Amino acid sequence: MSTTRSQVFEYERGAAAQELKDDPLHGEAMVLNMGPQHPATHGVLRLVVTLDGETMRDVDADVGYLHRGKEKTCESLGWAKFFPHTDRLDYVQPLANNIAYALSIEKLAGIQVPERGQILRVLLMEVSRIAAHLIYLGTTCIDLGAITMFFACFKERETIYNFLDAYTGHRMNNTYVRIGGVYADLDETSTGILRTWLKDFPRAVDTFEKFLTGNRIWYDRNRNIGIIDRQMALDWSLNGPNLRGAGVDADLRKLEPYSGYERYDFEVPVGTVGDCYDRYLVRVEEMRQSARICVQALDLLEKTKGGEFLSEDRRYVLPPKGDVHRSMEELIFQFKIVTDLRLPKGEAYVPIESSKGELGFYLVSDGTAKPQRCHIRAPGLMNVQAIPILSRGRLLSDMVSLIGSLDFVMGEVDR
Amino acid sequence: MVIVKRKELSFAERLYLPEIFRALSLTFRNMFQREITRQYPEEPLPKTEVTRGQPRLVELEEGSLACVSCGLCEAACPAYAITIDGGETENFIEREPKLFEIDMLRCILCGFCEEACPKDAIFMSDELELAGFTRKGLVYGIDKLRRPRAALQKRIDYVYRINDRWRNSSSTH
Repeated sequence: MSTTRSQVFEYERGAAAQELKDDPLHGEAMVLNMGPQHPATHGVLRLVVTLDGETMRDVDADVGYLHRGKEKTCESLGWAKFFPHTDRLDYVQPLANNIAYALSIEKLAGIQVPERGQILRVLLMEVSRIAAHLIYLGTTCIDLGAITMFFACFKERETIYNFLDAYTGHRMNNTYVRIGGVYADLDETSTGILRTWLKDFPRAVDTFEKFLTGNRIWYDRNRNIGIIDRQMALDWSLNGPNLRGAGVDADLRKLEPYSGYERYDFEVPVGTVGDCYDRYLVRVEEMRQSARICVQALDLLEKTKGGEFLSEDRRYVLPPKGDVHRSMEELIFQFKIVTDLRLPKGEAYVPIESSKGELGFYLVSDGTAKPQRCHIRAPGLMNVQAIPILSRGRLLSDMVSLIGSLDFVMGEVDR
Repeated sequence: MVIVKRKELSFAERLYLPEIFRALSLTFRNMFQREITRQYPEEPLPKTEVTRGQPRLVELEEGSLACVSCGLCEAACPAYAITIDGGETENFIEREPKLFEIDMLRCILCGFCEEACPKDAIFMSDELELAGFTRKGLVYGIDKLRRPRAALQKRIDYVYRINDRWRNSSSTH
């Protein structure tokens, strides 16, 4: 009989407890449940912590409390109907999930996204990256006791959500990306909101740094905690800012540019030590760089005004509303696309650099209206894996800053 | 690639006490700034034609529904919230829904039904509040869903505007 992972953990925990018992200076080890409803676990993550006094001897991260079977849902719903479900994976950046899913479908079907559509997607991705990093910063700080930072971050995020509200009509779960582009063009009102906000945002990031970078409490609670070195980050397949914080210069926007990222001028921030403090610095710098990309994208949108933003491919893209009334062909296309959207046989995987790391949808099509297999490569799951190895031998209170700095969203981890 | 700069704490920052006074001065300065909090129920968010609220059925001038119960919105709904049963009538438009139910507890306001509808019969209104005492009461039938066309006109114009922007008719013409 083979031993399961939980049996191994059980054994290790038992051995650790026995070892402690034999040591005359220690009492019995205490097994503590942190979560699944603990506010510091950022969702429903259960951590089984074996404690020796306040030192963590062993940690078992138990995921799966938010499992909703999204992959199977995709296989039973069909291609286009899965878009609203992708919003609910990493719910702090719904539009980036939409785009990742759309990119895989477009590769499978061989659809070309028009230039303006690609610029709009880049803009939406960068705006949601900033929003996600603001959530990281706000929630991590409130877990460490700094309530001011939480409000400062959420004030900025509020403007992003006002922009999304004016553009997409929803604040969260926007569902505005379609196969072949985006649903609607950016209008004057929402562009105005974004432009005014982008003017002030770099100064707001400076304020965050003023609050935190030289703050002694923040410094003490993050510095040299949860150190991930280069090799370990690669071994554990960590990704996103966690990988870059460990000193690996890996960003899919630079390595495998998608949606025309090669046209934008931005830098990839990289850390040196790989502790929580470095990951914080990397994310703050990423917010600045994202704001830079947003400005460039808005300028490009200005240049391509009136251009197409949704593909004309009538096999996969719904015809305009007015044409459906006027023309029989368009009406037939409307019915065909809504009820029976078929993709050619094959498989596709297009990863994007989301705010958490490499996010991609691996889709296998057998030529019918439903995917044969949909696998979601969620960056959060890889980042959760590192918790046990990073926390062994540290104090229990370090766990809070560790969870915050790894920055995962359980909706995506459990999916 | 840019390597982030790790800051070493200065003596004043390590002492911590001067920092407290700096923080307090910031607090006092913030007291005189504009308030950004919104008192939500008294002060609701602005609703525009872009707002995607709950879907509503369009009622034509003569009092009949624009819906012909083709079932496209039912097929497009990713949450299985819509149930339709159609029937014949004596009107000029021969079909109308006998049963049209949207389970508002399932509806995720994605707007796919509005996009799929070939008859301009269903549109997202700006009605957002939803509350009830029973689950059954929140399954809306035709009587609760129908709205005169004039009430939805702003949204209808908006959808036409974003749809008919640049596009030529398809290549099959």
